[in-house]
Amino acid sequence: MKILYNWLKEFVDAGTIPAKDLASRLSFAGVAIDAVEQTLAGELLDAEITTNRPDLLGHYGVAREVAAILRARSSVTSGTSSGTTSGTTLKPVEPKLHEAAEKAESAIQVEIACPELCGRYTARVLRGVKVGPSPEWLRQRLAAIGQTSINNVVDATNYVMFELGHALHAFDLDAIAEHTLVIRRAQAGEKLRTLDGVERALRPDMCVIADARRAVGIGGVMGGADSEITSATRNILLECAWFDPISIRRTSKALNLRTEASTRFERRADPEMAELASRRCAELIQQLGGGEVAAGVVDLYPGRAAISPGATSSIELTRRELLRIMGADVPDGEIESILRALGFAPARTDANRGSRDSLVAAWKCARPSWREDVKREIDLVEEVARHYGFDKFPARLPAATQPAARMPHAAAQDALLERLLALGYEEIITIPLVDEKLDAQFRAAGLSPARIANPLAEDAGVLRTSGAVNMLRTLEWNLNRGQRNLRLFEIGRAYSVRGTEPREQRILTLGLTGQVREKNIYEPARPAALEDLKGDLEALGELFGGFDMHPAEAGWLQAARAARIVRPGASLGRDASGDAGADGGGDVGIAGQLARRLAEEFKLRQDVYLAELALEPLYDAFAAKRAAIHYQPLPRFPAVERDFSLLLDDGVTFGRVAEIVRGLAIAEVEGVHAVDLFRGGQIPAGKYSLLLRVTFQSRQTTLTEAQVSDFSARIVSALTAKVGAALRSA
Amino acid sequence: MTSDPTRQTLDALGIRSEAAVLALFADMRARFEQDAVSKTDLDEVAWTTLRNAWLGRASGIIAGITENWLKPAPPDLKRVVGKALNELKARVEGALEELRVRMEAAAERRAAASGKTDLSLPGVPRVLGAKHPIRQTFEELEKIFLSIGFTVAEGPEIETPYYNFEALNIPEHHPARDTMDTFYLDLPATAGGPPGAPGLLLRTHTSPVQARTMEKQQPPVRIVVPGKVYRRDNPDATHSFMFHQMECLAVDTDITFCDFKGTVDYFVKEFFGPKVKTRLRPSYFPFTEPSAEVDATCHICDGKGCRVCKFSGWIEMFGAGMVDPAVYGFANYDAKKYSGFAFGVGVDRFAFLKYGIDDLQLFFQNDVRFLRQFR
Repeated sequence: MKILYNWLKEFVDAGTIPAKDLASRLSFAGVAIDAVEQTLAGELLDAEITTNRPDLLGHYGVAREVAAILRARSSVTSGTSSGTTSGTTLKPVEPKLHEAAEKAESAIQVEIACPELCGRYTARVLRGVKVGPSPEWLRQRLAAIGQTSINNVVDATNYVMFELGHALHAFDLDAIAEHTLVIRRAQAGEKLRTLDGVERALRPDMCVIADARRAVGIGGVMGGADSEITSATRNILLECAWFDPISIRRTSKALNLRTEASTRFERRADPEMAELASRRCAELIQQLGGGEVAAGVVDLYPGRAAISPGATSSIELTRRELLRIMGADVPDGEIESILRALGFAPARTDANRGSRDSLVAAWKCARPSWREDVKREIDLVEEVARHYGFDKFPARLPAATQPAARMPHAAAQDALLERLLALGYEEIITIPLVDEKLDAQFRAAGLSPARIANPLAEDAGVLRTSGAVNMLRTLEWNLNRGQRNLRLFEIGRAYSVRGTEPREQRILTLGLTGQVREKNIYEPARPAALEDLKGDLEALGELFGGFDMHPAEAGWLQAARAARIVRPGASLGRDASGDAGADGGGDVGIAGQLARRLAEEFKLRQDVYLAELALEPLYDAFAAKRAAIHYQPLPRFPAVERDFSLLLDDGVTFGRVAEIVRGLAIAEVEGVHAVDLFRGGQIPAGKYSLLLRVTFQSRQTTLTEAQVSDFSARIVSALTAKVGAALRSA
Repeated sequence: MTSDPTRQTLDALGIRSEAAVLALFADMRARFEQDAVSKTDLDEVAWTTLRNAWLGRASGIIAGITENWLKPAPPDLKRVVGKALNELKARVEGALEELRVRMEAAAERRAAASGKTDLSLPGVPRVLGAKHPIRQTFEELEKIFLSIGFTVAEGPEIETPYYNFEALNIPEHHPARDTMDTFYLDLPATAGGPPGAPGLLLRTHTSPVQARTMEKQQPPVRIVVPGKVYRRDNPDATHSFMFHQMECLAVDTDITFCDFKGTVDYFVKEFFGPKVKTRLRPSYFPFTEPSAEVDATCHICDGKGCRVCKFSGWIEMFGAGMVDPAVYGFANYDAKKYSGFAFGVGVDRFAFLKYGIDDLQLFFQNDVRFLRQFR
């Protein structure tokens, strides 16, 4: 809303206060002024009006706020009006019309067929008006507030709308068939060409203004083109009405047509203003274009009881409530002068009303028709507080009454974050709205995505079911910008639908590509490999009781380069779909190398490794893992290592070998490690060489050579017997 | 000496008296002093040669004396030989240690003078991880609120219109809904609900967790709610489909506007620095009353005016206010008994201001060159 300072001064005496100062005082009273500019019509204040204050969508309403700001402040002697400092008051609007003998009622017939959509309709008739260009002052004012001048009659309706905040419409009376108006619901299939030249298809939930034959306007939104004011117009029908806010809002949305009028009606215009605005507009039209005004007004007000608060309704404000909410007091004189200036007509009603600033003070306040937003005591508290000044209330911290707690999983997440950072992963945060087709490629079987009904972009049509698409897009973004060595993680959510129930799960997504070590002066480069990802996952798994990896099948990962991540000992039969990427058992995730087909689709020209973990089961396991940590005394006797160079058939895994060694249940076996692995050369095809290192240690004694030899012999014979291992050399 | 006396026994050398023993040791000592003193500027090879000559385990002079003089010495000389040997050994060891220290110091001096050590060369590079600046901002805010007794709460991002709007006093057709363009899901809000009713949505603010918390818990309530929120805005430097908020809610007996002001002022100062001042401007939100916009003096220019604060000295921070009693109605709180305040902090905006970032998209592109600046 643009406010001309000169225009404002027609309703309130602002003395010599500079526009900039007034702007600041308005802002601190709740009328946010974004800027003050200089225009041909004087200084212009650019106000941002909150949706609860339609009364401020006109200069008169803003002038009332100014009057409250510049209110007379009571002196210290009493709460009565005597002894006040000089203040300013709002000037009343009192239009003067030269009325003809003809009566409005005889010039126009009006009927409201849908009082639920149109609570009040006033019609005035003007005859013999000379339609023409507006005078300079009017065009300048309209131009300053961003309105185009049309002709003197249309300009007058616009001017009064910006003055009093109530929209009006002028019809060419001679275009109204049979000089009869019916305000009714639109008929199914009914059409109307509006003033902007667009043909509009109407619906029965829309309110139209119709003459004896057809719709001539969409009530509260826009008039029809056929009845508009032209230079040939002589006789005018001036409409000033009140339309139901929700109906206007629906209509305006359905037609995608927002106008100054619809903005005012949908926020709830002042029904009491309709007749006054009409009178004021008739006065202005007469001033600008002459002519005669038919006597009186056709004023149908079926909604009076329902939409106008009326004289009987009042609200009480008590000092007790003011203190309870605000925490500091406001003097009687201030409370009364603020409420009076804003039109609430406060009157003390408590038993102590003779005594100033009494703790039990209570005021009965009227509800002005233009302030539908003020219905409750709290609303009056706010009115007083904002004009008294938020700055006058002291700041203090509330007393703490309970211990503060973090989220239950905070400790587990902190530990996870700390480890991810130590492993060199950089955190990303992405927008989980993705392309449905891409997301489908990574989706675990049985999951349905949550679709957006009104997406803004096709590639943001579903909520992701996994973090893979976002991770790959981020890798792609960085690779395209020359950042080739990447270790990224995201802690976010995956979303899915089961039946009609949405599900959100915490997930961790890892992405690894390029070199894990760049070439430097001291070391050669080393490209990332699946084993790097596995090592990282093992380091993470340690926090949650360890991870086992088993071969997985997932279309988006390379065959034989894909692993299910399983928590050992996790109870089987766990709700599988509760885990992102899970397919049974204690699965908590999946990891592997991205399938070539997808690498190409994302234009990733280097190997990419991905992992995704469901975090809830891990967070659940974290506390148990921490609780299970108990100190083990350090060994007092030396450890002995023995290396076994084994020749094994391909397919005999290290896991199997280790299991056999441990299966011997030799208490002194402390560790089983793979130290070297070799294929080719002297190793026959179909076999490989594994250098196995076993560490022996006793808690009771220093092991003798004989004991170690015995252990070694048992290990070799077990490996030979069970997997046909051959010892290459001693 | 033509032949090494330490290869012969005392008896073979014809030494029979204590005086002769001492004279013999004096000779050896003189010999060592000569060997050692002549080597003022030893290198490692020369030092090792000297040490081996005297202290070598098998063929060293001290070993020879022990083997040939001490062990076969007649009982009456054994004590004096032993004592003299110990003295000689101590002297040799001490002198060798001294020479070694001197030698190593000289070697370090030479290396330093040679210019071969280039400390400007980088060390072995280590790979470091980094937290996203949004997480860092969340963590900082959370820490501040924990310190004044606020518990952290979270809630779903897929919400019902009830929690996102109705329970916050934003009924359907309320104009405030226009200011929050909403993504709806193609899922009904309640199974079997009326056709055409608004479906589930992506929460447009973290405020629904207010309603969810109050529904479960009677006052006192003090929570902060970090999380992602969604708006159907075309992406640009200041808009994104998704951004982050931290909601703050306190409800109790005796919570007033003064407590609200104090909390806002405390946390803004904690975050932006003690010099920052705050002020409140009256505003409107359906779920608070009185409502306010919180401004803070620009932490970049201390309120003098700069590009960041558009030369006003003040920066708009967030919307806030006392909880509207209508909201208590949805939570079955006694609005006559309880009062409270609520506000929602734009976390991305706080990060913007703190680090001078000017494009929201940077947060979600995740260019590592950007992310590494916050390490």
